[in-house]
Amino acid sequence: MYESIVDLNLTNSKVRAKWQAFLKSLGIADFSDREVDQIDFTIGIYNGDDLVATGSAAGNVLKYVGVCNKGVTTGSRFNAIVGELVNRLFQQQIFHIFVFTKKRYSESFQHIGFEQLGDTDVAAFLEMGDPNIHDYLDGLPKVPNQQYQQIGAVVMNANPFTLGHRYLVEKAAKQNDFVYVFVVSAERSLFTADERLKLVRAGLRDLDNVIVVAGGDYMVSYATFPAYFLPDNVTATDYQTALDARVFKTQIAPALHITTRYVGSEPLSKTTNQYNQALKRELPPDVQVVEVPRNQDQTGAVITATRVRKAIKAGDLSNIIESLPSSTYDFIKENLHELQSRIMKGMNIDGN
Amino acid sequence: MEIKQTAIAGTLESSDIQIMLSKGQSGIQIDLESDVKKQFGDQINAVITETLKKFDIDNVKVKAVDKGALDCVIKARTIAAAQRALKTVDQPAWEVL
Repeated sequence: MYESIVDLNLTNSKVRAKWQAFLKSLGIADFSDREVDQIDFTIGIYNGDDLVATGSAAGNVLKYVGVCNKGVTTGSRFNAIVGELVNRLFQQQIFHIFVFTKKRYSESFQHIGFEQLGDTDVAAFLEMGDPNIHDYLDGLPKVPNQQYQQIGAVVMNANPFTLGHRYLVEKAAKQNDFVYVFVVSAERSLFTADERLKLVRAGLRDLDNVIVVAGGDYMVSYATFPAYFLPDNVTATDYQTALDARVFKTQIAPALHITTRYVGSEPLSKTTNQYNQALKRELPPDVQVVEVPRNQDQTGAVITATRVRKAIKAGDLSNIIESLPSSTYDFIKENLHELQSRIMKGMNIDGN
Repeated sequence: MEIKQTAIAGTLESSDIQIMLSKGQSGIQIDLESDVKKQFGDQINAVITETLKKFDIDNVKVKAVDKGALDCVIKARTIAAAQRALKTVDQPAWEVL
């Protein structure tokens, strides 16, 4: 029997109620605006008046996929829904698709061409399409005989790049033959991904054994991991940080022969501290984690990018000149109005 | 012929096959996912390769998710994906069919 796939309009309250009730019956409980508002489109299959399968897409992430297999071959509705979601995204020229799901559904997705990037006890993270993680890793610069070298890594958002970041990289550069610096690519910061990458490159130009690269879709995007499918007793941050660490451990580190990851100690931000703890829990023994105490400026204050952003908001750069390499300072000075107008437009500057 | 854009054809329904083509550097590389790979994997790969060669596509990455498709279906889906990838959908390649 052929079942047709229809669009579900979630702004229609009757449709929304039915959709929500169906997913609830399958154990999905979180319908907060934070998760649902990001949905671009939702499709479903009806059997008579009953909704029996649904799936949604938010950007390039599949969400809220739920299927009832009563009375049909197991997997057929799941395949139909996911196949349709994938086809529609391809029509929109989105060729690289992610899914975050309960661990027990990972295999179903792998069965239809998704590749698992990492998993924890409760969750899994998969991708399909291209460019995939192998393309990303193949595209990174390498050094000769990399497998025999001591390779370190630092992951940073660098919003913006400060002397604190530089201090951390310098430490790593001294203790290793080569150091990869991954700059987070997600666009959720005051400074754009391009600006951050450019400033990191400029601020580290004189260090010969440091390779600065964009983190792509695979690094500390944990803030964007959807968490709606998790049971209540698992906190979102725990799962997000653990999953991110697993991706680094199982995909990134082996491909680049990274044996040590450097993080800055985190006295101020709770989330970042939790992230550091997750790395220490997940990465060893394959990858050692070295926590470097935060650098302080001459007044004894801890250098943080948060303080720099606050100074930008206030328009007073005199206090932060000591915390910044000249490349970052010059950039801020030249673009102060633009940066301030981003803050005026509602860009949050209190995060990481 | 050069792959101009990543393209997909086919569904994940039973008896169908989903073919995705994207740019490649080193020949025709096929990544096949199929329950009957052990029995028919070579045959499926051969049909895909043969069809792509008729389009003069020499360098391409192929991701195929097979759900028990017959050869004629594999061929049809490969042709559709190839024409989308080459952006020649408005000039159907009848002689290939």
